[in-house]
Amino acid sequence: MRVVANLNVCQGHARCEDLCPEVFSTDPIEGKVVIDQPEFPPELEEKVRIAVRNCPEGALRIARGGKL
Amino acid sequence: MTLIFEPLAPDHVPPELIVDFDFFKIPQDVTDPVQIWHGLADAGAPPIFYTPRNGGHWVFLRYADIVEGYRNHEMFSTRGAQIPPIEPFPVLQPNGVDPPEHDVFRKILAPMFTPLAVRRMTEGLQRRAESLISGFAGQGQCDFIADYAAKFPTATFLELFGLPEERLPEFLRIANVFFRSTDPDIRAANLLEIYAVLEELFREKERNPQSDIATTVLQARDADGKPFPWQDIINCGFLLFVAGLDTVTNTMAYVWRYLATTPDARQKFRDRLDDPAAFLLAIEELMRINAVSNIYRRVTHDCEYKGVQFRKNDRVILPNTVANRDGAIFPDPQTIDLDRKVNNHVTFGVGPHRCIGSHLAKREIMISLQEWLRQIPDFELAEDQDALSVFGGSVMGFESLKLRW
Ligand code: SF4
Repeated sequence: MRVVANLNVCQGHARCEDLCPEVFSTDPIEGKVVIDQPEFPPELEEKVRIAVRNCPEGALRIARGGKL
Repeated sequence: MTLIFEPLAPDHVPPELIVDFDFFKIPQDVTDPVQIWHGLADAGAPPIFYTPRNGGHWVFLRYADIVEGYRNHEMFSTRGAQIPPIEPFPVLQPNGVDPPEHDVFRKILAPMFTPLAVRRMTEGLQRRAESLISGFAGQGQCDFIADYAAKFPTATFLELFGLPEERLPEFLRIANVFFRSTDPDIRAANLLEIYAVLEELFREKERNPQSDIATTVLQARDADGKPFPWQDIINCGFLLFVAGLDTVTNTMAYVWRYLATTPDARQKFRDRLDDPAAFLLAIEELMRINAVSNIYRRVTHDCEYKGVQFRKNDRVILPNTVANRDGAIFPDPQTIDLDRKVNNHVTFGVGPHRCIGSHLAKREIMISLQEWLRQIPDFELAEDQDALSVFGGSVMGFESLKLRW
């Protein structure tokens, strides 16, 4: 499974980083999300899902397979 | 419906959308300013309504509309959006301008407010919290606002700006006038005073650059490698002055008042002292339930929107507390659930103007609470706390919060 971000929409709330630092961090210049582990392991699925659902901008999406 | 009050609403507003609502005025029996907003929604006010008070303005009451208001800056501009209208009012940089102009100063400030940059401030914040709290922990009581919640963010501001801590009393005084005075003459003089201080500060940093926010803003260059207009630099300093003081102070007041009256919650936070992730989750819920700011926008052109006629220059209020307790988005919205898993609150706004200081604000509150609970694990409202020392307006809060332990 893969998580993708729409950087045009991301405004840097960093809720994703707070909730799942294994996968998300924040760019130190623009303050937008960086996905450190786009292909996250299944044991992180629950945490990633919670992070995605908590993004106030709806900037994150989980994609199945390799497709976006 | 007949109007029994003055002033009247303009002709483009149909009578069924008019509600007599003054968000600065808290009725005698209300002890919590956010209740005036929830009272409106409960009383069946239309989801988008108009009040002729304070110069006349619209109010949005649905999460979805509030979020759209934030995002749609082509229609709802931040430029010159004061309520009641104040002219001339400085054009704050970057929050008083819309994209793409907004992005210029936003980009200058962004690196100084990222989670990483804020984590680097942790030690300083921790030290400040520790020393302020230990100053009164032994006394068994304090006025939380005067003794802590006003001082902490102001001292943090001084440090970010590279100003000496000795100037704290002076800054507390001018901030207090800025946030609380309603006298137009005093307000005008106060604005001049703030601008004079900022002018002096930036001139000093020009002569003597350091690694602080003021210097960074001064040294920033535009796309052609030129410095920014002096007025924009000062207006950026002004934004940072007004944005981070009163909001943090009053959010803290709400949080401490809740904890003082809820032994259960104190216990839950004490249990989480060594678990930062759980602590943060609970703080996030207190951010949702205690949204103190009501944000203003100005309509850019005549149009019909969601079935309502808007005119150019109409003012709009986006009350965050109402969005944050919209039952369509938050299950059981009035309940404080410190383990709430999905929490899309808009306390810091959304869209391009989202509060750039949100990570700092949360960290200030989190560190303060951790340190407080270490030194003062249990506390309650003092008997002489006046339940009615409250105020509404663009930032809502309490004039005093007397605690004892
Ligand atoms: S929570 Fe959403 S908007 Fe915020 S940094 Fe993460 S992706 Fe971006």
